[in-house]
Amino acid sequence: MDDLLADFIAETREMLEASGGEIVAWEADPADRARLDAIFRFVHTVKGNCGFFDFPRLASLSHAAEDALADCRAGRRDPDRALVSAVLAIIDRIAQMIDAIEADETFPEGGDESLIDALNVSRETSGDDGSGAAAPGGAQDEARAALHAPAAALLERGEGSASPARRTDPAAAQRTIRLPVELLDRVMSGVSDMVLARNDLAHRLRQAGNQPTIDGPFERLTTILSDVRDAITRMRMQRIETLFAALPRLVRDLSAELGKQVMIDLDGGDVELDREMIETIRDPLTHIIRNAIDHGIEAPSVRLAARKREIGLLAIAARQSGNTILIVISDDGRGLDEGRIGDKAVACGLVSAAERASMGREKTLNLIFEPGFSTAETVSNVSGRGVGLDVVRQNLERVGGSIKVSSQPGQGTVFTLQIPLTLSIIAGLTVEVGGQRFAVPQSYVEEIVQAEAGALDLVEVGASALVTFRGRRVPCLMLADVLGIAQGGHAPEASAPVLVLLRLASGDLFALAVERIHGHGDLVVKPLAPAVMRCGLYAGSTLLDDGQPVLLLDVANIAAQHELVGDARARALHALDEETARRSETLPRAMLFTDFSGRRAAVRLELVQRIETAPASAIDRSAGRPRVVIDAMILPLVGLPDTPFDDARVRLLRLSDGACDLLYAVREVEDAVELADVLQPVPEDPLVEAMTLVDGRPVSLVDAHALFARFGEPPVPATRPLCALPEGEWARTILGPLVTAAGYDIALSPLAADAGSARVQIVFEDVFEVAETLGRAPLGQVIRLRDQPDAPPGSTTIYRYDREALVAALTAARRGAATTGEPA
Amino acid sequence: MTNDLLVIVQIAGRRCALGANDVRSVIEIGAITPIPRSPAWITGITALRSQALTVIDCRMALGFTGIGWPTDLRAAVVSGGGHAYALLVDAIEDITTATGAPGQVPGGFGAEWSRIASGMVETMIGPALLIDLAALLAGPDTAGGEIEAAA
Repeated sequence: MDDLLADFIAETREMLEASGGEIVAWEADPADRARLDAIFRFVHTVKGNCGFFDFPRLASLSHAAEDALADCRAGRRDPDRALVSAVLAIIDRIAQMIDAIEADETFPEGGDESLIDALNVSRETSGDDGSGAAAPGGAQDEARAALHAPAAALLERGEGSASPARRTDPAAAQRTIRLPVELLDRVMSGVSDMVLARNDLAHRLRQAGNQPTIDGPFERLTTILSDVRDAITRMRMQRIETLFAALPRLVRDLSAELGKQVMIDLDGGDVELDREMIETIRDPLTHIIRNAIDHGIEAPSVRLAARKREIGLLAIAARQSGNTILIVISDDGRGLDEGRIGDKAVACGLVSAAERASMGREKTLNLIFEPGFSTAETVSNVSGRGVGLDVVRQNLERVGGSIKVSSQPGQGTVFTLQIPLTLSIIAGLTVEVGGQRFAVPQSYVEEIVQAEAGALDLVEVGASALVTFRGRRVPCLMLADVLGIAQGGHAPEASAPVLVLLRLASGDLFALAVERIHGHGDLVVKPLAPAVMRCGLYAGSTLLDDGQPVLLLDVANIAAQHELVGDARARALHALDEETARRSETLPRAMLFTDFSGRRAAVRLELVQRIETAPASAIDRSAGRPRVVIDAMILPLVGLPDTPFDDARVRLLRLSDGACDLLYAVREVEDAVELADVLQPVPEDPLVEAMTLVDGRPVSLVDAHALFARFGEPPVPATRPLCALPEGEWARTILGPLVTAAGYDIALSPLAADAGSARVQIVFEDVFEVAETLGRAPLGQVIRLRDQPDAPPGSTTIYRYDREALVAALTAARRGAATTGEPA
Repeated sequence: MTNDLLVIVQIAGRRCALGANDVRSVIEIGAITPIPRSPAWITGITALRSQALTVIDCRMALGFTGIGWPTDLRAAVVSGGGHAYALLVDAIEDITTATGAPGQVPGGFGAEWSRIASGMVETMIGPALLIDLAALLAGPDTAGGEIEAAA
């Protein structure tokens, strides 16, 4: 095919797909100028492009639609329902013609005139109400006939994708090349290996300490690598939005056809998956939506009688979980009829009556995926075209996916599709339990809460635990119990677990109690061996920076195993609650704490990176302002009391403005709260932004700007004090390790300038004496060694094999250095 | 083929042979991360460069439990079904060539061995049991049951 023509087809397709949602929105509100403009642009572009090719029918159709829309834009006529339907019919016809052009088929003659007439009929009726009383019916019929088109087109596409000869990528870019998928796979796995190699290198560099000559290029490498990785990932990945974009239109058409009112709610459109996978799930998804509207959602009158909202809700949410994508399709319709499904299955001979009696509800419901099963008593135009849910399941299983259903009578049905991702790099959180680390996909993590005594009310009801989180009771799983591993031996920490609040694709929230959070980062997820996957607890494995393999938890499955997934999806029923929740989310939120002077204070939640617990020994108060060493970084510390305190550990809020980190010492962390009350400025205290009331008690809000202006500084890696050694093999190989073990770095050369900056110098007595005589005695702390075991009286030297005395001297020197602070 | 290269290993005190083409490398086993709630014959995962290997204890995978076999610090890395595995064995002995085609022995190899054996093969250093890798990697829980059911 001519390249130019291919471009034309691809571009038109892309616009068709993108405008699907626009059209439905325009229909809902014909006065919406922005939508009108978008659709006008579409037909205008099609008309313009047709000029290059010889497509008179396309040109006349788009021209007619453009004229009608131009009139609306100019205010010469008002867009009404009939006009919208007529324009939609034309757009559908354009889509069909494009398909035909691409397949190099001739499109059946005729029919165009009636579509174009429909536009004008509508104009006449809107202009003159009396004369065309019968005409709108005609236009309606015409439009309705056209409305069957998309369903037919979808079916056709399904067949098309089955035969590889006619595989089309509707979202092909304007300028494209064709590449074998294996090549892309190879490049992609190469890049993910590069990410791992980089992580390994980063780890080694950290161990080796700061090396400006290497760190610079390494930073550049990191940036380039992440760019390349993004690009490569995009090469194969597509946002699921491209699939979602067509759904509003599909739902609109189907519900109009079936006389139902359905609202669609799409969530997670930014989840990316393999292009090919998107094509694979297009048909199953369409099928399930069709089923939901046809069988699930009741007619408006039935819904009203059942005290439901007249408009049915169809919610579709996508979530990424390790190597899989979850797509949850839920409706709030009448739900599946367990009894009828059971009867039908027995009648079809799928199960025996005895088997049926012993089957649980969930198992019975999932019979609908068995081959040869269809409950619809009347086969309607929409569903039941012979493609059953068994085919849906087959198609999904072919690509390594799965499908499940759950339903509550009268409340709705939830279909959960699980599809694999060929490769993924996901953001993950590493947690620790029983001394072993596990990763959790970041996309599930709603919030991390330190379970302070009293802050989270952890109660055990029967065998299950519940926590109270923002006024809601949330089920809580102990990760150690889930995995059957013993809690780590560190009793004090084990008593205050960290809770990771996870939100499932179904909208259900639960807490996972772990011992410690390690951090988060990009994880390259590799699949696990099938025997390991069968445990149902893990979604993959990944390597941490230090090369340690870590298992990625399959959050969705763990929740399902513990029956934490609401059967009838809470989301559909609590849509209103969510709205109110969303409204309250706009309130500023802050972390409430009590500081060391007993004052209740708060700091804006956005600033709080995490809550650290540091031993008191990590705090250095010698140099002007206190600092603390956390993760081998020296960070400024504020909020300490002036008087010494005797707690062995300090709770610290780690605040960050993006570039600088500082730690705020607090006596007790209370909770994250919403600042609903008035913020009263406090000009007297520069470090307080405002006073406000939380639960009727005054709280001072820390002024982050002033805080960072005064104390913020970029983190400095903690360095060990330097020690200069005497020259010679003995010092390097025998003395050196001892000095290193005592907590020193060895100065590279005893003569070089950096020996001058060394905290401590070790010199032999004879060398020292010579230097002293020359008036060049070393500055700072000096440890003098002698060769003989017996000391001359009054000597401050140490025998060079007197290990204990050496270690004591080195320790004393280090402590001395710490108290005198950095030499200016 | 009589001149196939074989990697000779000791599993549960018996001499076994792996096709050298199946064995990608022999590595020193480092730290193994255990996998909670996985079958006992899966020791854990370990890292080989940027790859995660599933570590399999061959003795357990055969169904021999409770006997303290010596374990070689080295493991044979094999791949099956697109996944890489490290096989823990008593000892990795040698690489040698087969001197005859694999054959059966009268009376069979015994229940545990039959499941994973594709035959006996004569090698330069004596007879060895030729291992069917796919059957070994399937573990004792699945295929074993089927064999029993079929028997």
